Amino acid sequence: MLSSSDKSSRLVMTDVCKSYGTTQALNQLSLNIEKPGVYAILGHNGAGKTTLINCALGLEKISSGNMTTLGSKPGDIKAKLRTGVILQNSELPDLLTVNEQIELFASYYHTPFSVTEIIDKCDLGDFANKRYKGLSGGQKRRVQFALAVVGNPDLIFLDEPTTGLDIDARKTLWNVIREFANKGKTIILTTHYLEEAENLADRILIMKAGKIVSDTTPQKIHLEAKGSVIQCQTRLPQSSITSLPGVDSVSKKGKFLEIRSSDDTATLRELIAQDPQISSLTVSKPSLENFFAQIENSESAQ
Amino acid sequence: MNNSFNRTMRSFFLESGAEILKSFRAPEFILPTLLMPVAFYTLFATIVPMGPESAPYLLATYGVFAVMGPAIFGFGISVANERDKGWLALKRVSPATGGSYIAAKVLSTLIFASFSVASIYLVAGFAADVSFTRATWASLLMIHLFSVFPFILIGLSIGFLCNANAAVAVSNILFLSFSALGGLWIPIMVFPPAMQSFAHFLPTYHLSEIALAVSQTSGQGDISYHLLVIGVMTALLALSTALAWSKQRNS
Ligand SMILES: Nc1ncnc2c1ncn2[C@@H]1O[C@H](COP(=O)(O)OP(=O)(O)OP(=O)(O)O)[C@@H](O)[C@H]1O
Ligand SMILES: [Mg+2]
Repeated sequence: MLSSSDKSSRLVMTDVCKSYGTTQALNQLSLNIEKPGVYAILGHNGAGKTTLINCALGLEKISSGNMTTLGSKPGDIKAKLRTGVILQNSELPDLLTVNEQIELFASYYHTPFSVTEIIDKCDLGDFANKRYKGLSGGQKRRVQFALAVVGNPDLIFLDEPTTGLDIDARKTLWNVIREFANKGKTIILTTHYLEEAENLADRILIMKAGKIVSDTTPQKIHLEAKGSVIQCQTRLPQSSITSLPGVDSVSKKGKFLEIRSSDDTATLRELIAQDPQISSLTVSKPSLENFFAQIENSESAQ
Repeated sequence: MNNSFNRTMRSFFLESGAEILKSFRAPEFILPTLLMPVAFYTLFATIVPMGPESAPYLLATYGVFAVMGPAIFGFGISVANERDKGWLALKRVSPATGGSYIAAKVLSTLIFASFSVASIYLVAGFAADVSFTRATWASLLMIHLFSVFPFILIGLSIGFLCNANAAVAVSNILFLSFSALGGLWIPIMVFPPAMQSFAHFLPTYHLSEIALAVSQTSGQGDISYHLLVIGVMTALLALSTALAWSKQRNS
């Protein structure tokens, strides 16, 4: 059924712009997603994540540039039959039960999962016969996720799928997403939880002001991240820490100080020598969070 | 081919079932639209009739009243609500065919409109002693059920153009003014001349005149004028609904 070009291009964007009045929500954005896997789009509020997804779905028209979704124009029925979606702000009919919603949505697709299969996979059994209106916020999100995957789609857009989910529900969702990725599906999700992107994504795209400012992988972030992050509580002033050996930068994080060091052994030795009462000391590899902060800062410095 | 036909039919079947369930599960909306016409009709045709002609006359006009409620409220309020909540957006990005959502709502509206009309016919036939030939009953029913379509178009336009709160207000205003000013409650002959002329701009007036002619309770035998006007109105409404539809898609 699938031609090779179909298979290889899940989402292609070339110089795409989208403006709302004077706001440039997408600004000359180019992106090519060919492979299966989980793609996490990160970025502050208003960065353009939702706009990117809405354009890919054909819900919003792009102002200029080119884009194809699954080899078709966004919004084409051929693409829709192979796409599943959670929109950022979308509610389901209040008065239908979870079972009824899933059965109806499944009927739109050619080779959907069965309702029981999806209820099982997404762990909705406890409230499958309840009306949507009576569900908690997190439960509602989980039903929306079930609708996004019930059609067994090749391309899944999830706009903040785990907002409001408890830890167990989030884990269940991650497992299903991983399972789909392993079966050759492409999942494009947005999230504000960095550890989610770190644990789940094969590729991380960071957006800022309508552009993709970083396109990397969790592995690369760990490999390329030089030095360490030292966290502690100390009575030493920030200025004197800056002059310690190996220290690149110092920042305050609540009650703690966060020290980026390119030579953690040397820094620690001096730190402890100068303040023997130092407490809550931890040393770690820089995380996505540090990377994210770095990108945001360097970009805004420009 | 056959497979895809079956799939489409199954999807339409589920979609219609969902619409009917949604209406049944919101009795606070559906009961007033079903009960008000039959309650009013019972009151004015059997309990305090103004004359022997009241029962058959009001049957023709109340039939239009009975189908207008489910159509304007069913479409106006529910489409506005589902659009506000983003459900329509999710449907638009799903592979559901755009028409099946509307078609399912039309079917469910026709079902509720039939209940509403049938309850009036029962009161007319059994309590108010209205005696028509079978052919007259059948033509009257056809007119009344056809009347649902212009009101569906009005409801759809409201749903596409108004947010959920405004839709409730606009639907109510149109529903009440169309009924009163179109002569569904009181014959427009008793209105002052200016109001009588204004009635010509309302679909309710023309539909009730057609229903009156068909049931031969009104002197005016010539319905071609009313048929023409209602045809033009329906076409214009279809056009404005299509514009409203494309406007909401692009906003
Ligand atoms: N319908 C709209 N009308 C006008 N401006 C809009 C509209 N939708 C989005 N914008 C603007 O476009 C920009 C990008 O918005 P978008 O919703 O894509 O951000 P986001 O990255 O998804 O943010 P969040 O993390 O808050 O969901 C913002 O500046 C926003 O104000
Ligand atoms: Mg967003």
